[in-house]
Amino acid sequence: MKKILALALALAMALSLTAAFADGGPVVLKVASIWSAETEANRAPMLKTLAEFEEAHPEIKLEVEWYEANAWKDQGETLALSDSLPDVFYWNAGGVLWNLVSSGDILPLDEYLTDEIKGQLIGGALANMTFDGKVYQLPYTNACSCLYCNTELFDKYGVKIPETWDELLEAVKAFREAGVVPMALGGGDKWPTNMYTDIIALRFVGDEACRACYYKTEGATFLTDDWKEAMTAFQTLIDLGAFPDDALSLTRDESEVPYFNGEIPMYVHGQWFSGSLSAEMQNKVKAVKFPAVGKGYDNQWMGGPAEGFSISAHTEHPAEAFVACQFLAQHQSDNGFECGAGLPAWKTEVQCGNPVMNQIAEQVAAGDSLLLWGNTALSGDDATLIGDTVYDVLAGTSTPEQWCEDMETIFGK
Amino acid sequence: MKRVLSNKWSIMVFVLPTVLFFTYIVIFPIFKTLWYSLLNEIPAKIGDASRFSGLEHYITMLTPGRRNRFPGAVGNSLLYAALSVFIQLPFSLLIALLLANGPKGERFYRNTFFVPVVISSVVVSLLWGRIYKGLLPQLFESLSWQIPKNGFLGNANTKIWFSFIPSLWQYVGYHMLLMYGALKTIPGDILEAATVDGASGAKMAFRIQIPMIKPMLKVCLSFSLIGSFKLFDTPWVLLERANMDLPALSMYVEMFSNHKYSYASAQAIFIVAECLVFTALLNWVFREESEKPGKKPRFGKGLARK
Repeated sequence: MKKILALALALAMALSLTAAFADGGPVVLKVASIWSAETEANRAPMLKTLAEFEEAHPEIKLEVEWYEANAWKDQGETLALSDSLPDVFYWNAGGVLWNLVSSGDILPLDEYLTDEIKGQLIGGALANMTFDGKVYQLPYTNACSCLYCNTELFDKYGVKIPETWDELLEAVKAFREAGVVPMALGGGDKWPTNMYTDIIALRFVGDEACRACYYKTEGATFLTDDWKEAMTAFQTLIDLGAFPDDALSLTRDESEVPYFNGEIPMYVHGQWFSGSLSAEMQNKVKAVKFPAVGKGYDNQWMGGPAEGFSISAHTEHPAEAFVACQFLAQHQSDNGFECGAGLPAWKTEVQCGNPVMNQIAEQVAAGDSLLLWGNTALSGDDATLIGDTVYDVLAGTSTPEQWCEDMETIFGK
Repeated sequence: MKRVLSNKWSIMVFVLPTVLFFTYIVIFPIFKTLWYSLLNEIPAKIGDASRFSGLEHYITMLTPGRRNRFPGAVGNSLLYAALSVFIQLPFSLLIALLLANGPKGERFYRNTFFVPVVISSVVVSLLWGRIYKGLLPQLFESLSWQIPKNGFLGNANTKIWFSFIPSLWQYVGYHMLLMYGALKTIPGDILEAATVDGASGAKMAFRIQIPMIKPMLKVCLSFSLIGSFKLFDTPWVLLERANMDLPALSMYVEMFSNHKYSYASAQAIFIVAECLVFTALLNWVFREESEKPGKKPRFGKGLARK
């Protein structure tokens, strides 16, 4: 009996070995995704996308590892150093992408990227993912920041939703007098503060000059009256008490809680924030364009396709990886838009059930331009610097003038 | 077996694999990091453009400048080390002395003080985060006290002190247990003899107990100092990644956010060197009485060896 059992086991092992080496099995690709937390607006659409992929491509098996966004950024950089990035992975566009492109860790997609596929993308979708004429990423979302206004609080305190800078200052003063914190901000994370400074700068400095600085074009400078005016405007908001008193102690997610609870009337945030609003809040919140300053840049927006999926330059299955990369990007774009987690980066027939997201989609479509956020467009220590310097202004340890001088140092390298 | 272990060659053969393994995973990486710190950037990042740049990174790192936060970070770590040595350790020693004298509920107190050490630093940081962002502001408000501008962890002047408290608090129990263990090994007849001679309370502590646990105090001081220079986890979680200047945080940001691998390697080497220098200094301060020029072993030491 024992002998028969041993023989059967040996046979089973031998068979499994031959199966492993046999041709025709599915190609296994490693995938890294963010949105590890159940609360992430993009998590459910991503799960749906993966299920759709499994059904559509049985010949390719995806092994997905989930990460928290910041943790993945660090992990990805480390894996890149040892040429062990997963086959397909989530990554930011702009300067963050350039870090890996410049070190030869990302596969250019041009060999596989046909005109037909390109035609399915929205216009200009690949701009932040193209370096030296080569495309290194496919976007799954189009991003933008806007001003989220809780209409219930505006009505309650008789304040008008601001359309101009002066109206914004009036609204801030009115809410402060009523004992309400006017604008939510999680300054501990730095990038949420950049959301405010970027959109203010865009209104005062304009897309062209901001773009020149963020992309370090020759001749660009932060030492202009417009930049100083922009940072002084931000300082005015701080001085008027626009932000929570402990804004610098708060993380982005902590800062969102009082907004979700209907305690704070305004928040400048990315379009993905609308996906985190409850059904009840979606009916109360109105997403509007950041107030106009009157310098001619009032219909310009911060954002653009800033996130997507890339392929490791060291993948053993580039063709299959491209199939997966395109599928994930295109379907996540649809699924994310459908449930209100993001604006689509691919042309789509899908309808969004989130009224706030629809408001944003409509306004962005009518916008003049989209400019990537400073901390995403810049790379390495320049991106760190733009976060550190706004943190210092918010903390009161730096002035608007010093901010301009500090940022000017990025050109000296 | 005894014969084998008395042969120095066989001891060497037995120890060799461990030495080789240790060299490969500890010594070799340190020297590799040192080499990286002397390059303009590591080859894995920039390929053939990598070249020897000498002490350039070290000079940049230590040259004071408005946006060079490393010298300030070193200053902060020294401040934390001072707080550890002059507040945390004396406090641990006080508790250890009190507990070693066998009060009622000795075991309960000993275990209670040790609980924070068992908890993960991340949990401790989140716990204190809740205190700083919830309980403490409420307490201040109810007492009509002024909360620091931007909150306890946001205020540029106060955040350093508040961020140090959790790690100081967490490791009090650790040092307490080490000292308590050492105090418990003091032979009872010595303490009895001291009591007969009229020593009690503070006199017993300062003349008998503390001198006799000097080797353990040295160990605690070493752990405390090295831990201070390497401090990373608690401020990292408590202050949202890198909103505070400490050498280990700075190294991490340079490495993983700024992708300046060689520059970060220079900071890593600085931290290693700092730890080695202070450990050597500590060894010198605590050197054996007989090693000091012109001194002979004193009473306390003789007793300890009895």
